[in-house]
Amino acid sequence: MLTALILLPAIGAVLIALVPGRRRELFLPLGVTMSIGPLALAAFVFTSFVTGEPGFQMVEREVWYEPWGLSWYLGIDGISLPLVALTALLVPIVLAASTAITHRLKEFVMYTLLLEAGLIGVFLALDLFLFFVFFEAILIPMYFIIGIWGGERRIYAAIKFFLYTAFGSALMLAAIIGLAVLSSRQTGVPSFAYTDLLDVSLNPTTARWLFGAFALAFAIKVPMFPLHTWLPDAHVEAPTAGSVLLAAVLLKLGTYGLVRFNLGLFPQASVDFVPVMAVLAVIGIVYGAVVAIVQPDLKKLVAYSSVSHLGFIVLGTFALTSGGLVGGLVQNINHGITTGALFLLVGMIYDRRHTKKIADFGGLAQVMPIFAGLFLFTTFASIGLPGLNGFIGEFMVLIGSFPSLPIYTIIAASGVVLAAIYLLWAYERAFTGVPDKPENQALLDLNLREKLVLAPLVILMLLLGLYPKVLLDRVQPSAEAILDRIEATTNYVVPEPGRLEHVLLMEEGE
Amino acid sequence: MIPPPEINWFALLPLLVLGLGAAAVLLVDVQMKPHPKWLVRMAAAVLLATAAGALLQGWWLRRLEAGETVGTPLPFSGFLIVDRYAIFGTLLLAAIALLGLGAGQRFIVSLGRRAAEAIALVLLSTSGFMLMLSTPQLVMMFLGLEIGSISLYVVAGFSRQERQSEEAAIKYFLLGSFASAIFIYGVALVYAATGSLQLFEQQELLSRVAFVKPGVLLIGLALLIVGLAFKVTAAPFHGWAPDVYQGAPAGMVGFMAAAAKVGGFAALARIMATAFEGYIETWATVVAGIAVLSMIVGSFLAVVQSDFRRLLAYSGVAHAGFILTGIVAGEAGIGSIWFYLAVYTVQLVGAYAVVAAVSGASSAGSPLASYAGLAKRQPMLAHALTVLLLGMAGIPLTSGFIAKFGVFQDAFRAGFGWLVVVALLASVVSFFIYLRVIVTMYMEEPLEDRVLVLTVPLRLVLWTTLAMTVVFGLFPVPLLRLTAISLPL
Repeated sequence: MLTALILLPAIGAVLIALVPGRRRELFLPLGVTMSIGPLALAAFVFTSFVTGEPGFQMVEREVWYEPWGLSWYLGIDGISLPLVALTALLVPIVLAASTAITHRLKEFVMYTLLLEAGLIGVFLALDLFLFFVFFEAILIPMYFIIGIWGGERRIYAAIKFFLYTAFGSALMLAAIIGLAVLSSRQTGVPSFAYTDLLDVSLNPTTARWLFGAFALAFAIKVPMFPLHTWLPDAHVEAPTAGSVLLAAVLLKLGTYGLVRFNLGLFPQASVDFVPVMAVLAVIGIVYGAVVAIVQPDLKKLVAYSSVSHLGFIVLGTFALTSGGLVGGLVQNINHGITTGALFLLVGMIYDRRHTKKIADFGGLAQVMPIFAGLFLFTTFASIGLPGLNGFIGEFMVLIGSFPSLPIYTIIAASGVVLAAIYLLWAYERAFTGVPDKPENQALLDLNLREKLVLAPLVILMLLLGLYPKVLLDRVQPSAEAILDRIEATTNYVVPEPGRLEHVLLMEEGE
Repeated sequence: MIPPPEINWFALLPLLVLGLGAAAVLLVDVQMKPHPKWLVRMAAAVLLATAAGALLQGWWLRRLEAGETVGTPLPFSGFLIVDRYAIFGTLLLAAIALLGLGAGQRFIVSLGRRAAEAIALVLLSTSGFMLMLSTPQLVMMFLGLEIGSISLYVVAGFSRQERQSEEAAIKYFLLGSFASAIFIYGVALVYAATGSLQLFEQQELLSRVAFVKPGVLLIGLALLIVGLAFKVTAAPFHGWAPDVYQGAPAGMVGFMAAAAKVGGFAALARIMATAFEGYIETWATVVAGIAVLSMIVGSFLAVVQSDFRRLLAYSGVAHAGFILTGIVAGEAGIGSIWFYLAVYTVQLVGAYAVVAAVSGASSAGSPLASYAGLAKRQPMLAHALTVLLLGMAGIPLTSGFIAKFGVFQDAFRAGFGWLVVVALLASVVSFFIYLRVIVTMYMEEPLEDRVLVLTVPLRLVLWTTLAMTVVFGLFPVPLLRLTAISLPL
């Protein structure tokens, strides 16, 4: 079943390749249709996933090439499940939102579907070789999406994106090979399987080097300060669909990898590296937010807000408490939904005005009330207004991180305030007042298609804000299992109030 | 009366077919003066027959191992060898020559009456490199090297009218002979140290006798490595490659580069991994040093090239470094080296086939600017070159990734983790090179709108190389299994 989840979008891409290029009007509807299949399957996986079970489910394992220890090894747990669902949900949405793309539409739809296959593959792969193949392979469709359909400096942005990520993953590949070689020396059987590599015994120095190589690859992907410089370029130049997938899913590869591989494979090194990761995370939170305030470009503002939000996730992850970890994983999804929606909204106004400069707008709320309302709603979700999804994740991260990293958490909390500043100020400048620019006075409000595109995301913001249990029930056992393993293999003890029950109690007590 | 020496025709089969085929091409040309394209077809048939001969040997070898037939895999008193290693190499060379003829068909046809010579030289050069990898005898190896190389010197200068082609030929000839001299000097020193020219005898000797002062032997080995490093364009012995590959006829460069690499690496791996595996501690460090230098020099100098052929030549230097990464693993690395060679040389022939199509079959020089907007002028060429370049870059889902993964893994197992890290960083640099070409093709406007004609053989070459890059990237296992058993005796 998981194999089908990877293959369906890929098959969709191949089918689209067979449609003659002249029938341009067909491609977007076809693409959306092709991505409904994976979405349905992902929904089925999501509902049939057994909650309360920490281990991998629906495991598929076939030997691929035994002399090297390669296998086609897929599985899903509470950490990857929400991300797979998010990917499957967003692809039809971004395709439906991509009407502004006119040239080489066929290739665009193909690359998007291939990207989906790769992204789902990354989250499902339990063989590190397979993981790496997917991790690196998604660079190609993303490279073309930015490079062909991007803005003015698209080539620069595409190459920068590619080289940054490739540099990180090169060292990670060395670490993967090294880990597998160590494993085969110890067991005599070559294997790249995650579950086998968990058992490798490493001396502390080696573990730190390997941790470093993995962490570098993922830190570039997240991106963590100071490795974030590719992100604003890539986001600003990418077409809307590219920005949405980049922010909502590609960045999550980094946080997913940190949890799955860094915490999972190198427990002791993770404990040792907590100060480094926490400092960088907090710098990212504050720096991203401060830089976002002064951005004149709406898209760049959202891009820097990602740097800040992702900092929260990393902080929560390396707080090594279940509140922080679960909060981070939940925030992964929440950020994907809200930032995805923000990029879609920015894309919609860009399609109308062909500018993203905040100064070019003003008074839009009078001309486009529905658009303005949805923008404000998403802004609130992003800031973390209670009752909307952003609140749950951020609040859990902060409460969860406090017991183990009090100082950092206090500084990080300022990021919440800053987020309110940059987003609301941008809203004020662009939407309130009178529409004094003539170009803005004749703008049309959202049409039905655009409303439909945004509807699922808005509903999710509300749903996950009011009833986060859907997510928590699935995420929590797997996250706790990782912490249990860290406790079992190192002398680190998760601080008592860091256990999740405590956090939830506090939340209810409010 | 002296009994006539027993000739093992069977062991000679592929070489014999190829040599006679080359002669036949020349004779047919003189007698019947057919259109050159018929000669190309004839040569293709000869190469297919050669491959069939190699397959027949493989079948015979399998029966021999099962004890169903008698004979020796070392006929002619150990001057030739029939092992899986030689058979795989023969098949690979035949495939490369076939693809090379397809890529160069337009050039060859344009030669008119001189076409037969060019075809014969390609066949002879192939036979030379085949001999090189199917002998365990150092002097025979030298003979093969010279047959192969001298034919290539002539091919390099085949566009006599063009100065650059002449320059390429002279440069290739002078520096190539120099390298051959170094190689044969190495052979002499190894002979002086061990008293034998036969790799198996040397292996046996080295296992019995511990050299108190292995100085002469080590110098000999070093010279062998240098001589072969020259042929496979490893740094710092790569200086000739960019000039030669830029000046030689575009249609033939792919074959020239690929065949020399297969021959050189196959010989190097056979010498080092069979006879001198015992000295691996000593020579592996040297080879690792050459590998590091090749990867760095190749990747970085490729970045600043403005001519696509020079760029490919420098990237070839980097690839030589990657393959040498597999050599340091000794015998354990041979399977991965074969896989890498098979994958890379095919991509190389494909990429130069695109060069031949874009810059005209014989004209020297192919500035990167002439690839601008290729996706608009001739999408087929641009798509094919993109896949081939991604393959060379070693992006997952292409065969190049599996190839790199294989050699890196073997090197890591052999304790050369640092070398793998250097290699991976060098490959990130090389990404930039290939991306730059892709950007030029897809994201820039064409400078000229001359229509690019694709001949049928060229299309076949492009489709084959492209298909191999993708298929062996998605389903590498059959080829991996084949290369893993293609070991020397």
